[in-house]
Amino acid sequence: MPSSVEPADIADRLRRIEAVTDNALAELELEQLLAELLARVKELLGADTATVLLVDSGGHHLVASASSGMEEEVRQGVRVPVGEGFAGRIAASRTPMVIQQVDSTTVVNPLLWEKGVRSLAGVPLVAGGDMVGVLHVGTFDPTPFSERDVEFLQVVGDRVALATHTRLTRTERAAAAALQRTLLPAKLPQIAGLELSSRYVPGEAGGASGDWYDVFTLPSGWLCVTVGDVVGRGLAAATIMSRVRTATRSYALDSGEPTAVLSKLDAHIRHFEPQTMTTIAYAVLEPSLERMHISLAGHLSPVLALPDRKAELLDVPIDPPIGVGSAPLQRRSATIDLPEGATVLFYTDGLVERRDRGLDEGLRLLCDTVTTDSTERLCSTVMSRMVGSDPTDDDIAVLAIRKRLTDELRTLELELDAVPEVLADVRAALRRWLPTTGATAEETADLLVAVGEACSNVIEHAYGPLGGKINLRFEAEEPEVVVTVADTGRWRQARGAHRGRGTALMRQLSDNVTFEHTAGGTLVRIRKTLSGEPA
Amino acid sequence: MTVANIEVLTRDPETIEIAITGEIDLSNADVVRDDIFAAIGNHLVTVRLNLAGVTYLDSAGLRILFSLAERLRLLQADCQILAPEGSTSRRVVELAGLDTLARILP
Repeated sequence: MPSSVEPADIADRLRRIEAVTDNALAELELEQLLAELLARVKELLGADTATVLLVDSGGHHLVASASSGMEEEVRQGVRVPVGEGFAGRIAASRTPMVIQQVDSTTVVNPLLWEKGVRSLAGVPLVAGGDMVGVLHVGTFDPTPFSERDVEFLQVVGDRVALATHTRLTRTERAAAAALQRTLLPAKLPQIAGLELSSRYVPGEAGGASGDWYDVFTLPSGWLCVTVGDVVGRGLAAATIMSRVRTATRSYALDSGEPTAVLSKLDAHIRHFEPQTMTTIAYAVLEPSLERMHISLAGHLSPVLALPDRKAELLDVPIDPPIGVGSAPLQRRSATIDLPEGATVLFYTDGLVERRDRGLDEGLRLLCDTVTTDSTERLCSTVMSRMVGSDPTDDDIAVLAIRKRLTDELRTLELELDAVPEVLADVRAALRRWLPTTGATAEETADLLVAVGEACSNVIEHAYGPLGGKINLRFEAEEPEVVVTVADTGRWRQARGAHRGRGTALMRQLSDNVTFEHTAGGTLVRIRKTLSGEPA
Repeated sequence: MTVANIEVLTRDPETIEIAITGEIDLSNADVVRDDIFAAIGNHLVTVRLNLAGVTYLDSAGLRILFSLAERLRLLQADCQILAPEGSTSRRVVELAGLDTLARILP
């Protein structure tokens, strides 16, 4: 039965609660902390049950999260709509409540009356102005909880709310950061003829949120580049971002046109994520890397720097963001020529927006900063000048792409996984690189097959089931082209019928092929002298 | 990703023309072979493989052509490979000596 609380006891009881919320238990996980607190509250109030329900991520339901004396509530995942029943009304009104009649007319959860709870007292859990959940205690005895019991419960509730809020925030920040870590490309793709670098910095106020960048090749040989920002903060924005990013990749696979991809994405987001807004810069580079096609959905225009010219914002019309307002009838795109050295810097608004600096000023400063320098240095310079040592509210994503100069392309190195799927990437790289050496169409076709054979050999014969890498090196040494294909495995004999034609083809299609088998791997060197009459 | 498309054009009950477009390498050779073999019935007298639309072919693709030519010889069917002069596939097919097993048409 509820034991009445005398003022003299209150200080003592609070000490016992503090012992739980304070230092000694600061490192407990949320579940353990709540379990410990509820056991003590139940004991101190002489109650039979003590339960905490927390508001779910949508904010419309309370979910039983911890209980002492009614553990099945948690195991069964009891959910109470905010505004309904005992706990729901406490959450909606943010005021304590006491009832002596526990049945289907007063509570949502049948477990309470089935178990024989006759008297309930509950308080809202509010921290930092946020509704966190509800704490309630119950007895099998019909005697009502006193006003002092409720006061005590509220004091405990405030501490539970604070501890829960802190831990949830910490957990959410960690989860958002983990999500960002898994979603951002661990390593940018290696594209022959391009240099790519990126930065991602979580906001100091909101932690990791909804910014992302993504670079991937399409089966058609086109390169897709996206930078986007799901409006919002923390884990909620980060999880929506993960879905938007996946949807963008899917539409990129079956649509060539940036405007078509963004229109499909818009329809998708309006249907499945109606409450969200996302800005995206979506660009595709032709396999030749000569041109970029880009469409902007509410996103700040990327910066283009050309050799010996001052950098400026790309001249691209900005269409409405994804997921808000009425869908635009026709999205627009622009085609940008990418001469040698051209550098495009994609970014999210966190890079240029500062409390103490106007957006125009930020963009001007950014344009003054972007050059055709190596992208790694460029990213460092941009972060240093735009962010410096100021704390940032919002997260920042930056992605720089630069088209290499022909001179830099005399030698090109690629490291690829030794799997059949990379053969198309090798051909795409060669098709881009060989024309810069002056190879004719026939010479290019011959080298494609010769190098393809060497790579197929590595994929088929060099490694066991664990797999390994292919290291490619293309060198232009007039009038010769030298391609080196190296692995770190040990070749085994070819198996099956119709084998062994590859090596013959390599020799027929080039001027010289050498094989160096060593303990550390195999190196195949293919040389072909060019006729010097480019097509 | 390497992509090849296979289109079957049956001219009459005895002749089949299979047009391949795209690229063939180690990553898709098995699928391409299965598609081609599945299209060829036992009653056929002439099988023509049209490689005019093939933009990449190496020994993985040659393996398909050689095993096809050998199978057809067993079935006593005529194997024709259509590879236009100057095309990517023509050079590889000639270098590999496929003309000993199949008729190469321009």
